[in-house]
Amino acid sequence: MSIVIDSVSKHFGDFTALDDVSLDVRDGSLTALLGPSGGGKSTLLRVIAGLETPDSGSVSIAGEDATEKPPQRRNVGFVFQHYAAFKHMTVAKNVAFGLTIRKRPGWRMLARTARSEVEEIEARVDELLKLVHLDGFAHRYPSQLSGGQRQRMALARALAVQPRVLLLDEPFGALDATVRKELRAWLRRLHDEVHVTTVFVTHDQEEAMEVAEQIVVLNNGKIEQVGSPQELYEQPANEFVMGFVGPISELSGRSIRPHDVDILLEPHDGAQEAMIDRVLHLGFEVRVELTLGDGEKTWVQTTKGQADELELTEGEIVWLRPNGARVPA
Amino acid sequence: MRSKYLLRFLALGYLALLLGIPVALVFWNAFQDGIGAAWAAVTTPEAQHAFYLTFVMVIVAVPLNTIFGVLAALAIVRQRFRGRALLNALVDLPFAVSPVVVGLALLLVYGRRDGWLGQWFADQGVQIIFSTPGMILATMFVSLPFVVRETIPVLREIGTEQEQAAATLGAGPFQTFFRVTLPAIRWGVAYGVVLTTARALGEFGAVSVVSGKLSGQTETATLYVENRFQRFDETGAYAAAVVLALLALVTLLAMNVIKPKEAQA
Amino acid sequence: MAYLSIVALIPLAAVLFRSFENGADGFWNAVSSPEAVAALKLTLIASLIVVIVNGVFGTLIAWVLVRDEFPGRSVVNSLIDLPFALPTIVAGLTLLALYGPDSPVGINVAYTRVAVVMALLFVTLPFVVRAVQPVLLELDREMEQAAESLGAGRATVFRRIVLPNLTPAIIAGGGLAFARAIGEFGSLVLIAGNLPFKTQAASFFIFSQVESDNIVAAAAVSVVLLAAALVLLLIFGWLSKRALRHEE
Repeated sequence: MSIVIDSVSKHFGDFTALDDVSLDVRDGSLTALLGPSGGGKSTLLRVIAGLETPDSGSVSIAGEDATEKPPQRRNVGFVFQHYAAFKHMTVAKNVAFGLTIRKRPGWRMLARTARSEVEEIEARVDELLKLVHLDGFAHRYPSQLSGGQRQRMALARALAVQPRVLLLDEPFGALDATVRKELRAWLRRLHDEVHVTTVFVTHDQEEAMEVAEQIVVLNNGKIEQVGSPQELYEQPANEFVMGFVGPISELSGRSIRPHDVDILLEPHDGAQEAMIDRVLHLGFEVRVELTLGDGEKTWVQTTKGQADELELTEGEIVWLRPNGARVPA
Repeated sequence: MRSKYLLRFLALGYLALLLGIPVALVFWNAFQDGIGAAWAAVTTPEAQHAFYLTFVMVIVAVPLNTIFGVLAALAIVRQRFRGRALLNALVDLPFAVSPVVVGLALLLVYGRRDGWLGQWFADQGVQIIFSTPGMILATMFVSLPFVVRETIPVLREIGTEQEQAAATLGAGPFQTFFRVTLPAIRWGVAYGVVLTTARALGEFGAVSVVSGKLSGQTETATLYVENRFQRFDETGAYAAAVVLALLALVTLLAMNVIKPKEAQA
Repeated sequence: MAYLSIVALIPLAAVLFRSFENGADGFWNAVSSPEAVAALKLTLIASLIVVIVNGVFGTLIAWVLVRDEFPGRSVVNSLIDLPFALPTIVAGLTLLALYGPDSPVGINVAYTRVAVVMALLFVTLPFVVRAVQPVLLELDREMEQAAESLGAGRATVFRRIVLPNLTPAIIAGGGLAFARAIGEFGSLVLIAGNLPFKTQAASFFIFSQVESDNIVAAAAVSVVLLAAALVLLLIFGWLSKRALRHEE
């Protein structure tokens, strides 16, 4: 189910959260909204879910205009950064919530659900808990789960109603580094299994690159670039994207990836003289900090093999030259 | 560490002199003439009627104030409207008003002779002042803020994420309220209800003004205590007071059972 | 809002309205009668004493309950709320049992001004304790330890570190206690009585005027009492905020 966002703007008082944003999200894709905090990415996600109403522009989901629809009627799954677990319900009840209320709409709230329906829901909940590896936790309360488990419960709850799109707001933001790594890989596999159109928000470029097929870079309420991880890294549309998706270093007043600089021991055409200040051995990677002839500081990323071969020492004079020309236009 | 014991002694001593010993003595005085006499004193028709009337106050005022309290708290926390701050301030007003003033205020609106609306109600055959409805109004007035005050902080604390999650899962406003919001705030509301009940049970001043104090008719348990005492029936006064004190202790117990749960949630 | 109006707002408006029934002069005459002045003076002075005493003892009790360990502490802790739970008339009777004519220890303060103060102390006891307790619980012990490591003695730590952090709560609790004290009625009925110029508090003056059908005087003093309560709550709220300004 594709999502089409057409020139959406959203203001909070004087603050412009989204400024005329248009975006297509392909059916079945896995998309990351990447950017610094306050860049508008969470607002965009909440506009898609219907949790915020745009000031102007439209949102359509699966070809249907959803701009005026309340969140209840959009059939989207939303996973909140802090999980929004229903604390007073067991894991199973949390996951079953969306299904239960569908079986018992408003006016039948006090009626008992039919036996067959209860069994149907239970079966579906079991299936989902297996999917998120929480089988055996059905009767626990959210307070008895770890952060990663709560996050997976929230995901199962969102998936239970078979949403047309799955939206995740900083899904791993509140977790510690190891759990985060695990869950990233797991989300990717889950997407391969379930294949629901998925959009997630993150401020972590590594996370976006590792998980997403398509990355949307948002800054100051505007889309800076849309592309695959590789495109973003290798052909950044501007300085901001270049800086945001990877390390940068300066050479002759231009931004450049620090691994795109060759260190030469002899003077060369187009190479600049520099003195080595420090050589930092970080395992496979070796980081060399230098001072250029004009007094500017810069740094170059190289490998252990190369550094050993060149026998770089502090205080030595070397020449620096860009090796490939992957510099923003 | 001598100062530690001095502080402890001072604090506990103050409490004992002001609170502990006097309360214990009430029990002592009530059973001075034996348990039989105390029992007889609280089972006279007047005493029974007084407790019945107090029960009526509680059973009407508490549910009404609970419903109002939860709605007002929802409005104050979740909604943005003109006058929200005003509502927030006005809700506390009954805390700042003397019970006697409450009684007088009701008298001036609903009293037959002095009230703005009293004559109209009298023409409809409804007597409010010097009768049960007025006393219920007085009880509602003084116990109005408790549920609101106890519900607002828990409502703030649970935030809106759970409610938004329910909305994205397809729940309408009523479903969200009954399945998500209410269960999440239930301990706060319950605590407010306990406080409301305690106040409704124990109100004296406001009810006193609007009751007319007709023994066996418009006399609540607290008025009954005063009445007995003024008539030098000390056993009767102390015995009824003990019943009220026991109810207060039950309230305290309920408060203590509810409080830790609230903290843990 | 309609509910609030029927139960509380319209009646209070009626009080305000009726107090000026005979114009501003009528209002002034009512509140400046010697009896009314004496009642208001007694109420305000007694309330002030009570706020100060319970401010000190309330803080002390909160301190002991939070920082001290002794058997039965949790029982004492839950008993603090008893004055809130106990009907006020029972509170009066309670004090009368120990400090009345039949006092087992021979102290009889019944129908004196001391009794007024005692009854008010009783009913307002929990306010300061309950306001200070949570703040004390949350207070960062490392702050005190830092002060000690810098050479501050325990009295200095309390005065310079702990007390400033508790002040907003003490003031807020005191404000609530004050508002409660100036309106108190039930607990005074049995122990303090209703002797004009002696133990007649403002609420009793109002009550007597209602009984003797002097509605304007009753309403006028009510308005003064209401205004005093609101002004005091505002002042205490402002003081408490001022004391908190370092946290902004």
